Order: sequence, then structure tokens, then C-alpha cells
Amino acid sequence: MTRRPIRTANLRLAGWLRRNSEHYLMEAAQVEFARQVGRPSPVGPTGPAALFWRRVFVPIYRRLPWTARRRVMSRMPGSHRRAWSHPPERRDPAI
Amino acid sequence: MPIRVVVVGGGAGGIGAAGGVKQAAPDAEVTVFTEFEDVAYSPCGIPYVHGREIDDFASLFLADKQAYVDAGIDIHYETRVTAIDLDRRTVHVEGLDGEIGDIPYDRLIVATGFDYADPGVPGSDLGGLYYVKNIRRAMEWDQVLDTVRRAVVVEASPLGLEMTTALAHRGIETHLIDPRPWPLADVADPDIMAPVEESWAEMGVIMHFTTKLEGFLGNEAGSVRAVATSTGELPCELAVVCTHKQPNNTLARAAGLEIGSTGGLIVDERMETSQSGVFAGGDCVELPHGVTWVPVQGLSGSHAYAQGKVAGVNAAGRERRYSPVYVPWAMVAGKWMIGGVSFGETLAKALGIPYVVGVADGISRARYYPGVRKTRVKLLGEPGSLRLIGAQMVGGEGIKERADFLAMAVRTGITIEDLAWMENVYSPPIGALNEPIALAAQNALSRLAS
Repeated sequence: MTRRPIRTANLRLAGWLRRNSEHYLMEAAQVEFARQVGRPSPVGPTGPAALFWRRVFVPIYRRLPWTARRRVMSRMPGSHRRAWSHPPERRDPAI
Repeated sequence: MPIRVVVVGGGAGGIGAAGGVKQAAPDAEVTVFTEFEDVAYSPCGIPYVHGREIDDFASLFLADKQAYVDAGIDIHYETRVTAIDLDRRTVHVEGLDGEIGDIPYDRLIVATGFDYADPGVPGSDLGGLYYVKNIRRAMEWDQVLDTVRRAVVVEASPLGLEMTTALAHRGIETHLIDPRPWPLADVADPDIMAPVEESWAEMGVIMHFTTKLEGFLGNEAGSVRAVATSTGELPCELAVVCTHKQPNNTLARAAGLEIGSTGGLIVDERMETSQSGVFAGGDCVELPHGVTWVPVQGLSGSHAYAQGKVAGVNAAGRERRYSPVYVPWAMVAGKWMIGGVSFGETLAKALGIPYVVGVADGISRARYYPGVRKTRVKLLGEPGSLRLIGAQMVGGEGIKERADFLAMAVRTGITIEDLAWMENVYSPPIGALNEPIALAAQNALSRLAS
């Protein structure tokens, strides 16, 4: 059996980025929908790090086109980079 | 010589894996190690016993221990695997009965499940904090519930919704706290959850949204007496902690198996990890989402069981593939069923996925038939192609079946246009003339046309 190389630092960085980006992007979306239905905004972490994610990361992410975001996400380490068959194409009638 | 397969974990993933091995290679030696007293029960059913919808915990067991002996699956209960040696191909085990040592394997399947995220606040070690997981502990807690007058459910996660409903159903004064603006806000949209909130209010649930957990306050006996929140103290005798399910990968990480950005083990479509000959399935792995290709983790028991089966078949030397996931989901919350597939508007907005939307309020049966309920369907489509990419629903019945159908529709590239003119069953007791899915799709097309 061959052990594949372990990229611990990359994987930790990816985990940190995913955790924070997911949290603050969800929070920003919830703020918008809460406003639409007249509800208060979610309460989350405070401090300089939270400020960075809310005021810098979220606006920059939102300005990127979807194709660029998708390219970045697809380059993160994870199961999506292993072998997965794509869904079958539409088929002709069965008989 | 028969192949030796070791399975770490006795939940849905582990038992599915053991069965998959035996199905593909009946003469394989299959050994399962679980740290718990039981396997083969439905932990997802625990809230319904607490809520008295199900009479007893015995109903949750699917098979007895002898059934596994008869099937040739050697299960070691209350036995912890403390290390995996990938080079020597052994696992180190420590059992309550004194069993200790290194067990060799030809193929290994990791199905170590999940742990609840640490609430990360003072008082997390107090008594009276209930983490719903193990059926034996649930039996003990069920007796405690008889003495509980007020309970606080921490976080409106899927389990939080089920426990809130169950405790209210049992007549306990139930408070629900969550820092987000509406329940299940990371999954569902506010319009989908609104009927659930109304029904909880009718059931006496006291909801505290946009409220942050700050700590658990104890009494002299070391049990919780109140939950401290950003909006004040909530006195209680019990707190049910329903935080996010995190992959339990301490063992796999220490062994050197690759972990993805979700904290789940990286696997391929054969459920093989970064180490050849080592497979994994269930809540400890991550899988690509079929629409976004972004890895996701922490799905349902049916996902775990199916992944375990695939892992087991491949570990036995046969070939089976698992697919990227589209995550159909449905559950009962309050007096409603809610469900969906892929994502709703909030998650699409968060990810920045462009979408068109159509919403309709239909009915579940003929309008004159007793028991008819409102059914709201929301469909999300890809702009341009109008391929279905997500859906959300709330209604009185038929939500699970619609979620399953729509997951296949997303997977096979069905468009909003296809759905607008779909054929549907019409029979007054079970289906209305106009299928709510078709109405939502027609509304999406009308919006686009205008």
C-alpha cells in the first residue's frame, strides 16, 4: 500500500478559511433576508477579526463573479478533487 | 484465506459497511468495534420517544445482537479503538472486558460518526446538559424528563427543532435559543419556517432568536439551574445542547488520513480515503455537492448507511460507486413538515449562486377533502438554462416524497420549464388538481416573462 502525501498545513488553512467564510457569508445573507421580513439581524462574534470578515472578506467575495468563486472553491483540498463520476446525461426514451 | 475487514464504529455507517462486506464477500471475516453498548437502533427516533409519539425505546431497535452473530459479523461492544497503524495494518483496541491489543486487518473501514460542537461557554461540564446521541443515555434522560418543568434547547438545528417539538409535546415549558434570526436559518428560508414558528407558539414554545448563549449556570449540586444568554437568564432544570454535528476524526487524523476543509475525511466515489485499502463512510466523511461541487458533511442517517454499504462492497473487492449528493431533507417541526433539496435562497445568496425563483402556495389534497393542508413550494433555477438547482417546502403532508422527487430532478438536469408542465397524480384524498411544484414552476416562468 502507498501512503499519499499529507499536506497538513494546506488542509488546516483550508479548514480555517472554510469555517470563517461559511459563517460570515451565511450571516450576511441572513442579515439581508431578516431585513426583508422585518426581523433583527443575527448576533455573532465581535472584535477585529469579525470586523475583517464582515467588512473586507464578504464584500470582496460578493464582487467576484460566480465563475471566479467556483474556481477558488474547486482548488481547495477536499473530496471534490478525488474521482467522482458526473451525473448521467439525459437518455432517449426507454423503448 | 478470507479477507479480514475491520470496521471502526457501530452506527449507521459502520453497520451498513459490515453488511456491505458480507453481501459482496460472504466468507469475509468482519469485525466491528463500537464504544457503545448497542448497535442497530435508530438514534433519529429518540426525540419521538421523548415526545411520547413512540411508546418505548425498544421500538427503535432494528435487530438484536444475535442477528449479527448469525450473519457472521463479529461485533465488539464497549470497545474503543485508540490507534490505527496504517503501515502495519493494525488497530489498537481497549475493551471494557479487558480486551486489549493490536488487531490486524486487510481492509479498514472508518465510520466514527460525529460529535456535537463544544458550545464553548462556561458551565459546559454541569449536570443537566443533555446531548442526544446514545440510546442508553436517552433512556436515563427520559426518566429525568418526568421531573423537568422548564427546559432550554440550545440552537435551532435539525435536532433542536425535533427536541423543541418533542419537549413541548410532552408538556414541558420549552425555550429555544439561537443567535440567528429564524430557526434552521443555515438551511431553510424565513418564509418556509414561519408556519413552524406559529405552530410552536400555539404549543407554548418560547422562542428566543438573535439570542446568544453565554453560559450554563449551576446550582450547589452541580446541575444546571439556568442558561445565561445575551438577553438574560432562562431558569431551567435541563438544557438540550443541539449544536452543529462535527466529524469525529481524532483517530483518523492521528493516523495520518487526509481531512478536508469541512473536517470530514477526504474520500473518492468508492469511499476510499487518502490511504489505499482504507475506506470511510457516514458523518466522518465529506462529499462533493452535486450542484456546486463544494464538499459538504454531516448529512442524514440514510446517507451514512448508503455510504457504509458502498465502502463495505469496495472493501470486499467488488465495485460500487457513490454519487455526489443533492441532499434531499425533510422533517416534522411543530405542526408542519418542512423539507427541501440542495439549497434555498439564503444559502444560495450566501454562496453567491445566481438563481431565479418561483413560489406557490398550493394544497395537499382536493380543496374539499378533510385534512387538506397548505403546501408552499419554492423552486430555484439556474438563470438561462432554468435547470432546477434547489427547492424548499412547507406543508402538512407529502413533503418527504416531493423532496426525494426534486432531488432526482436536480440530479438529472430537469428544468423549471419541465416542472411547469409536469404530469401529476390527481386523486381527491391524496393529491390536488394542481400540483404545487408545477404551480411554483409556472410562477417562476411568469416572473421571468414579465
